[in-house]
Order: sequence, then C-alpha cells, then structure tokens
Amino acid sequence: MMIRRSGIFLFYLMIICVLYSQPLQAFVDEEGCLLCHKYPKMGRVTEEGTRRSYYVMPHIFGKTVHRNVPCRDCHNYIKELPHREVKTGVSCDSECHSVKNPATGKNFSHKPISDVYSKSVHGRDKIAKGLDSDKPYCITCHTNPVYNPAEKVVPKRIADRCVVCHEDRDFVESWYNHTSRRIRDIKRSSAEIIALCSSCHGDKKLIERHMKGAAEKGVVSLGKKFPVAVESYNASFHGKVNRYGFNKAANCLDCHADYDNYYLSVHEIRPSRDPLSPVHESKRYQTCQRCHKYANENYATIDPHPTKDLASNPFIYYAEQIYNWIAYVVIVGLIGLAMLETFGRRRDGACWRLKQGSSWWRKSRKRKGRDRIV
Amino acid sequence: MNLSDEARKILDNSMRINKSSDADRKEIEELIHLMPDDRVLFYKNVVSNPIGDLPRYSIHIRIQHMLTFVTFLALAFTGLPVAFYDHVWAEPLNTLVGGVDVSRVVHRTLAVVMILSMVYHLFTITLGPLAQMFKRRFEIKRTILPLMKDLRDFKDDLLYFAGRRDQRPEMDKFMYKQKLHYFAAAFGNIVMVVSGSSFLFPDIWASILPVSIASHFQELMRLSHPHEALLALLVIAFWHWYNVHLAPGRFPMQWTFLTGKITREHQIEEHFLEYLRNLVEIPSERSYLNDMLTARELREEGHVHEDPEPMNPVDEEPAS
Repeated sequence: MMIRRSGIFLFYLMIICVLYSQPLQAFVDEEGCLLCHKYPKMGRVTEEGTRRSYYVMPHIFGKTVHRNVPCRDCHNYIKELPHREVKTGVSCDSECHSVKNPATGKNFSHKPISDVYSKSVHGRDKIAKGLDSDKPYCITCHTNPVYNPAEKVVPKRIADRCVVCHEDRDFVESWYNHTSRRIRDIKRSSAEIIALCSSCHGDKKLIERHMKGAAEKGVVSLGKKFPVAVESYNASFHGKVNRYGFNKAANCLDCHADYDNYYLSVHEIRPSRDPLSPVHESKRYQTCQRCHKYANENYATIDPHPTKDLASNPFIYYAEQIYNWIAYVVIVGLIGLAMLETFGRRRDGACWRLKQGSSWWRKSRKRKGRDRIV
Repeated sequence: MNLSDEARKILDNSMRINKSSDADRKEIEELIHLMPDDRVLFYKNVVSNPIGDLPRYSIHIRIQHMLTFVTFLALAFTGLPVAFYDHVWAEPLNTLVGGVDVSRVVHRTLAVVMILSMVYHLFTITLGPLAQMFKRRFEIKRTILPLMKDLRDFKDDLLYFAGRRDQRPEMDKFMYKQKLHYFAAAFGNIVMVVSGSSFLFPDIWASILPVSIASHFQELMRLSHPHEALLALLVIAFWHWYNVHLAPGRFPMQWTFLTGKITREHQIEEHFLEYLRNLVEIPSERSYLNDMLTARELREEGHVHEDPEPMNPVDEEPAS
C-alpha cells in the first residue's frame, strides 16, 4: 500500500517537474542551482509574515546583464547543497571569480563604483538600519528592466563577419549585445530621473523621519531645501516644462551630478554644502553655465528651488499678498462699477439691445418727461 | 442749451482750429441753442446705426487692438497651463494648445508680435499728435492722458448711477474708464515684456543687475508674469467684454473695434465734448441734428437757462 502511494506521488512529482521545467535554458547552470530554483512555487513565509519567492526564471535571467556570472560568484556564502538559510544576501561589491576584467585581467567587481557610492550622501551598507535604510541601495536604481531593454537580434551580416575569426557565434552575439548596449544611450529619461528621485525625496513621511533624526542629533546636516526639494522643483520653470514633456530643461541630475563625468558622478551625489558638489556655492554658476551661457555669480544667487512661504522667503510672501489684494480690489471694484453703471442706466431707460436706432426704449424711473419720443 | 464753461471752451477751440467760417459758426451756435437742456432726452432721441455713426478710431488703432486682442488671448492660453500647472484644467488646456513643445514656440513668437504691436502703437501715438501739432490741431484734452477732470467725472458718474445726480458728466473722447483701462493695459504689457524677458534671458538680466537684487528681481518676475496675466484675463473677461458686449446699449457687440465708428447715442451719452467737436468737423451731423430736433419737436427756442441743469444735483424722483 505504502509503495503504491509513493509510486503515485513520484509519478505526479515527475509530471509536475516536466510541466514546470523550462525546455530551453538560456544560461549554463553548471552549479546545479536550478535543480531547486527552477520551481515557481519555491519560496517560504518569513517569521515576519513576508512571502518570499526564490524562483529563478531561467528564460528571464538568461537575458539579464548577469547571465554569464555563475550564481556563486555573487552568492558566495553558499558552500554546500542544499544550502543554509541566507542572512545577508548579495552585496554588489563582491568579487567575481569567474569573470575577469578584460582591461586589467583582475577579477571583475563593482567594488570601485560601490566605494565611490558609499562616500556619497546616499551611501549605505547592504544591510542598513535606522534612517540609513531609507537610502537607496544599488538595486533601488539599477533595476534590470530599465538597464536591460529588450535586446535586438544581432544583425546577421555583422555576426557572420565576426565569426570568421572569433569562431563561436554565441560569444560574438553576447559580446555584440554587451558592447552595443553601452554605446546606446541607456540612461533614464528626464521624467524617469525626476520620478526616481521623487520616490524618496517626495515622500513626506521619509522626509519627516530624517528631519526629526537630524534634530535629535542636534546637528544641522540637512540642506534647507531638503524638506521641499521635490515640490519646489515641481513649481519651478524647470519642473513645470519637464512635467509637460520638455526634456531640455534641467532635471535633478543635470545640476546635482557633474555632467563632465556623468555616469560616475551620479553615484557620488553630495550635499550642496560639500565643495565637491556641482551645486556648491563656489561651483554653482559653472553648473548653470552648462545651459545658461551667460550665467555668472549673480545668476547663481537665483533660487532654482523657489519657495514662497513666510519663513523661507518673506520677500515673495509679502509681494504675493500685496498682488493678491490688488487683484481682489481690482476685480471686485470693476465688477461693482459695471453693476452700478448698469443699474443706473437701466433706471434711466436703457435697453439691452440697440434696435430701431436706439437702446433707450424703456421709461425713465429717474425723471418724468425724458423718455424717447416714439 | 447753455453750454457749461468746459464745453464752451472745447467748442470755441474746435471752431478756431477748424477755421470754421462765420456761417458755420452761426449754424453751430444756433444748433447748440436749440439743443434740449436735458442731455438724456437728447441722446435718447437720436437715431443710431449699430455699426457706428461717428468716427472714433483710425485704422492704425484698430489694427493694434486686433493684434493685441489675438496675441493676448493666445499668449494667455499657452502660458496659463504652464504657470498654473497643478490645477485640474492645466493639463487638458496644455494638450489643447499642442503641448509645451508647440506652445513654447507659439508663446514666444506671439510675444514678439505683441511687442511689435506695442512699438507700432508708440509710433502712432507719437507721430499722430506730432502731425496734429504741426497742423496746429493738437488738443491735449482729446488725448487719453489722464487729467484732474477724470476724477471729477468719475465721482459725478457714480452719483448719476446712484441716482444722486440728474445727468452724466460731460466727458471727452476718452472717459475715465477708458483711461484707466488703457494705462492698466500699458502697464500690464510692460510688466509682461520685462518679466517674460527675464524668463527667456535670466542669465543676461542677472549679469546686468547688482548681485543684491538679481535673485529678488527674478523671483518677483516669476510672481508677476502669471499674476498679471491672470488679472488681465479676468479684467478682460469680466469688465472689458461686459462693457463692449453685454452692457445695455452695447449688446450684442459694439462694432467700434472693426468699423472705427461709435454710435451717435453712445457718443452723446459718454463723450459729449467729442460730439461737440463732431458738430464742428462734420457738417452733415449738423443737418442731421437739426432735422432730428425739428422732427421730434425738441427745439428749445427762446429759452434762456440761467442755471444749466447738468451741473446741478437734482433730487431723485420716486420710482414709478
């Protein structure tokens, strides 16, 4: 009986395995990780109640930038199979043992850029606690879908030419894709950059947490525009026209990153009080000059994050109050005058329409004997 | 009618600069004498052509009005959705005007057209009076320059509307409302041009201005441009269009901006002093008036009024 039941169970298990397994694997799984991770239902519920999926979709992963990196190059804490519970996960500054940097011959690693990033205002560890956990880690911005747009099929004429010497067509195609993607300008659009930055800097609760944290520490470490960065940008001319799809106006990174070394610089964003920041007082006008040709030190005093509340900008606050009052008085006064005029002229006999040569066909209630003689 | 001192001066001056012959002068004086004292009765009884009877605006002024009118509205509709980006109507209106890629080009191009129209106007208001001075026909009271009389007229007109005065004041070619509106528009245009240029050339403005005010200036311009635009649009929509389209006697439309002519009843009611000049300058108007007064038996022959009514407040009659 037991043997029959086990046989039926194994039969079903086999059918499930056949149904769920992918017929074509797009990358080589020499380490055998897919033995388990190819199952879509592979996952668990954590102690906190979060559902975690450990499913690796081979056909998707096979198109990512990491497809040629063996799993354990990044998941280097896995020493045996089946492996133990994973506590920390992958850190982006770990060293690949299987992929060599062709320029230096050393093991490839993201460590250099990770080190730059950790010194920036956004820098944090992979496992961060407290306020630091609000900061973005590498994968907050480097989401594969954005940085790995659907790759085009390699043009046959080019591949045919390459394989004459390089022999291996797979190598040629992956090399072509790797290189051509970096030649194509694949940075985010202005709208995407603004949305990305706003996802944290526009989060009121996050901002409040950090303001409170800074106050508790007793150091003024946050910029005065920190709490209003997004809303003030949106209200600025740059923000308004970008919102409507005009992308030549500056987005966040156009000013806060150094344009001369853009791809490095976006990783080392610094607060404006840091002399290395492109928006530091000493360098601000040079940053403005990238678009505003005749910008000088005077120009750099103009606020690109304009506010108009009493505390931060009393000049414009009072100016707006005065303007508003002028507008109310003008509109109410003129409409009042028009109403009084209509009332007065109607009382003396004015009609709305000029017909048969006159618009004075009604009887005057002002004075007898002054009506139109019919 | 016994003319007020003011009207008498205007009439005498007009006859002098038009070099009216003795016969003309006599005819005009007789006509003035025959006019009813009650100016209300006078303008109520004339026959007016809705598209206008008497000359008012030259072709230049009409072209300038048309240019300003078209550019102003198009500028407002392309600019407001950018300025008031967070309002519910902003995005649909922006799409309607072609999106910011199109509207920014339209806005700047029309701004240039509007400035050209201002320049054209400056030429007109400079060369026109110069030509009049050359011919010794220039009258400052006939221009739109504000005078103390306008304040008096404003007060008197309010009293008439409120029923505390029997007649509207004798006003000149441009009455207080028009002078107010003209200078508000002129001021507004200058604000829009200066502030608009500060958006287009912020770096150049900053390099000209001292560092202490460069930032304040830019911020004030950022505030002024949309504020002035919205205020102007509201004034145009609620006041100007009311005055020229919806007010009694002007409905459905005053044709002056197209024909350059004003209706006779409007001229006598709101621009009586200009009507006196019309009588001097247009002989056919004299014969029209004479015929009308005779036909309607409004001639006040033999009456001598020691105390002309228009200048005196009269107790209001109870409403019937």
